[in-house]
Amino acid sequence: MAETLFYALALAAVGFAVGVISARSPMLSVLSLLGAFVCLALVYLLAGFQFLAGAQVLVYAGAIMVLFLFVVMLLNLADLSKVAEHPTRVLGVHRVALAGGSAALLGVLALLASRRIPDTAADTAMLARGFDELEPIAVALFSRYLLPFEAASLLLLATMVAVLVLAKRARAPQGPREQAQAVDAHGDARGDASDAARELEGAGLR
Amino acid sequence: MPELPLWLVWVIKAAVIYGALLSVAGLMSLAERKVSAWMQYRIGPNRVGPFGLLQPLADGVKFMFKEELVPAGANPFLFRIAPALAALPAMLAVAVIPFAGEIELFGQRTTLSVTDLPISSLYVLAVGGLGIYGIILGGWSSNSKYSLLGSLRASAQMVSYELSLILSILAVVALSGSLDLRVIADAQQADAALWNIARAPLAFLLFVVCMFAETNRHPFDFAESEPELVGGFHTEYSAMRFALFFLGEYCAMTVMSCLATVLFLAGGAIPFWPDAPWWAELASFLVKMSAFLFLYLWVRWTLPRFRFDQLMRLGWKVLLPLALFNLFATAALMAAGVL
Repeated sequence: MAETLFYALALAAVGFAVGVISARSPMLSVLSLLGAFVCLALVYLLAGFQFLAGAQVLVYAGAIMVLFLFVVMLLNLADLSKVAEHPTRVLGVHRVALAGGSAALLGVLALLASRRIPDTAADTAMLARGFDELEPIAVALFSRYLLPFEAASLLLLATMVAVLVLAKRARAPQGPREQAQAVDAHGDARGDASDAARELEGAGLR
Repeated sequence: MPELPLWLVWVIKAAVIYGALLSVAGLMSLAERKVSAWMQYRIGPNRVGPFGLLQPLADGVKFMFKEELVPAGANPFLFRIAPALAALPAMLAVAVIPFAGEIELFGQRTTLSVTDLPISSLYVLAVGGLGIYGIILGGWSSNSKYSLLGSLRASAQMVSYELSLILSILAVVALSGSLDLRVIADAQQADAALWNIARAPLAFLLFVVCMFAETNRHPFDFAESEPELVGGFHTEYSAMRFALFFLGEYCAMTVMSCLATVLFLAGGAIPFWPDAPWWAELASFLVKMSAFLFLYLWVRWTLPRFRFDQLMRLGWKVLLPLALFNLFATAALMAAGVL
């Protein structure tokens, strides 16, 4: 029963993951990612990691994906519909990248399938105590793995600041394309996005 | 009477608790109109049934028979599924609320909640937080600028206030040493001085403010804000799908009130009556929950709406630092042995 459920969930997760990169509409793409996260949370739940499943849904599905959707809603929808009219062009370099990536993935999978990762004493102890308790997780996170934990958070913070610095450019329209956009921002969807952007600016969010 | 199988007990409990939740949500739609009428020196709905008590039923029948419209240019699939996505999470979140301790009814012993999880407070937040997808998708798929602006506001607001909400709950979790709502409620049982509203008053204040923002209620109801956005995210909706958004909102309010009762008012505990029977505990729980629900209505008909930039400033520059300070102060006081 548990095994069948696991395979069904794993298949669904992979299906959603393919949806993320193959969907034409960015909205569907984000929703597929949401589906993949939820499937992953259910897999955690199946393995007995209740806390991890809850945290996964709370952080990824509840907060991060909402921000993704927020950004997608601000995208220029008129431009996106133009993209959808053209068939996807696959360039030579993309084919090479796809083949290389697939080969690497298969290699890693084969490597993982060929050997069993040995259980350490700590793992066995944790398995015996069950994953519902927060204490072992907290102790591990704040003692043995404190430095990697803090380093990871610092890295994420630095990335965030770097992205903000890179994204903050001059406001005035520069290229001819942007100027044209600014002029004919009267289309339905396009008007929506720029209205929304203006409101956000008013709210001090940009 | 012989012991019933476990699954049957679960099905019965689920049916009773969901029935009760939907009834409370229906009654809230009536209470909203009655209370607003009372505060504005009007009479309010009084035609259908005694004191207008059957008004929610009449509304339901009316919504069923209204014409359903899908606007041109809308994404039909997302447009149709969004109201269900808005209503479902709140209904799922109520599953772990401990309404009363162990009960004995018709020879069956069970606890009065659909299920008990060791991480139930996390579950309520995680599942309840998904309700925003219904609002975002409903507004986006309508292909209308008012709806889109409503959704954008809702998503910015709910993500911002969720942080302070979770931090205020974390202080309570630290005090009780558990994520289990039942353990949190039981830890306050013994004495009214142990209620978390007395031990962590700042957390309570933060929770109540964030509770209004999380359910998109006045004075933070920017997602619908009639004077600016027609109807906000549900501008294009009609008939039963429109009603589902409201049902979801009332369910979310009810769940938030239950959560506040458990976290800060010791669930069903009654002061000076430590070994109260389960029906008294249940009644006391419902009274406390109703007090929070009344607070929602009271605030709605008393305070004017904020401005969106004020809302964001309050959330990020006032509530979030206060919530962080509160968590730190609670931890420090616990380490010092005061709390």
